[in-house]
Amino acid sequence: MTEGQTTANQPQDDQEEGAVLTVEHLVKQYPQAQSPVLNDISFQVPKGKVFVVLGPSGSGKSTLLRTIAGLEPIQGGRILLDGQEVETGHPLGKHSGGPGGLMSGSRSSDLRTRIGMVFQSYDLFPNRTVLDNVTLAPILVQKRKRDQARQEALELLDRVGLADRRDAWPSQLSGGQRQRVAICRALILHPEIMLFDEVTAALDPEMVREVLQVILELADQGLTMMIVTHEMAFARGIADHIVLLDGGVLVEQSDDPEAFFTHPATDRAQRFLSTFTYERRREQDQDQKS
Amino acid sequence: MNWTFMAQNLHFFVNAAYVTVFISFFGVVFSMLIGLVCAGLEVFRIPLLSQLARVYIELSRNTPLLVQLYFLYFGLPKLGVNWSAQTCAIVGLAFLGGSYMAEAMRGGFEAVPQVQIESARVLGFTRGQTLSRIVLPQALSSAIPGVVANIIFLIKESSVVSAIALADVMYVTKDLMGTSYDTYESLTLLIVTYLVILLPISVIGTVLERRFDYARR
Repeated sequence: MTEGQTTANQPQDDQEEGAVLTVEHLVKQYPQAQSPVLNDISFQVPKGKVFVVLGPSGSGKSTLLRTIAGLEPIQGGRILLDGQEVETGHPLGKHSGGPGGLMSGSRSSDLRTRIGMVFQSYDLFPNRTVLDNVTLAPILVQKRKRDQARQEALELLDRVGLADRRDAWPSQLSGGQRQRVAICRALILHPEIMLFDEVTAALDPEMVREVLQVILELADQGLTMMIVTHEMAFARGIADHIVLLDGGVLVEQSDDPEAFFTHPATDRAQRFLSTFTYERRREQDQDQKS
Repeated sequence: MNWTFMAQNLHFFVNAAYVTVFISFFGVVFSMLIGLVCAGLEVFRIPLLSQLARVYIELSRNTPLLVQLYFLYFGLPKLGVNWSAQTCAIVGLAFLGGSYMAEAMRGGFEAVPQVQIESARVLGFTRGQTLSRIVLPQALSSAIPGVVANIIFLIKESSVVSAIALADVMYVTKDLMGTSYDTYESLTLLIVTYLVILLPISVIGTVLERRFDYARR
């Protein structure tokens, strides 16, 4: 990490146990929907820890990250960053607003840079080179000096093994390379927490490793992060805290990932985890034959 | 082929080509501005104004340019507005072209993936920065083929202004045919004039299209 990054993520002595992110009773419901997508979600992400969210498709994992990033308004509860309230729920009808994105949301520019996010789909700006992709936000949003931003961008790109591709266009990169650039683009703003939304889901298997390796290294350096993933081996290896989301509800929370994977407390978690193992019932087959 | 006739009358076409290029140029520039504004109003669903833009687009697309020119040139004076033939031609082309450009640019805006806007937002960009640095460059890039097609269409369509006595290339051709009966030669000169004006634009369009094709370079 660069100087700024290290200090930004070093736990301050008096706040050793302080949570970077606190979510309290979060409710997310789309207009015209029968039931909420996320219902009464509460958890904390402590400083320097890796918080992994698992769950089947449609369980609300991505929506949860999007509400935290400020891309979706919430209808109940609140979200706190470093103890400071950044979003509160408003019931549908009054402040429900339009669709997410450009024309919605009330968070300030500065506040948005404090939460970094990498998306599943390749989201580099195709009209900018690799280096420009990384330096655009620090120059434009944080008003940092061009030279300084370039220098830090090159250091970051070097760390993900892409310094030699600085002048390439995103279309010339592989999916894995694009995701690594996207990680640099988020890190250069020195966010307090990084959100990874199934960042390897659209990648070829051999490219998954190069991206996950980068995330592992960031975890080792003490970056606070929240990860939504379907890579179970990765989740097991990187998680400090693990939660299972199903039908918009947190069905299991665990501070002991190893225990979660070997002896899940709930039946739902057991069933979810069993979908990732494949076993033939050879003995039974033989029994039937004989 | 009467080469002497063609050589003698070439200067008429050169002069008339200036008229065609002049009104087309301003017609195209204004129609692109109108198109960009209308597309923006529609894409960002600005209340009331987007509906107005829609009404204009349907009115402009579904009436012939000849009728629009007649309205401007013969109709407006009855209301006390006396515009020169040249002004009428430029306004007419801009009025017609605006809707075509709006549709091409709207397509460009809609081709920008939502995640591009979301990434910009997460990175802290303001709405203005997102629009000018991310959305507009990408939208215009994918709108280029449609816009170039519209530019060529408008320049060809400008031949209609001969109907309001503006001495463009079409007008000169009709004049020559009427006075000399060298129909074949006059029309050949006319076609060559249009090709000389349009072929470079076509080539430039292709180059621009390649240069700004962010997805494939």
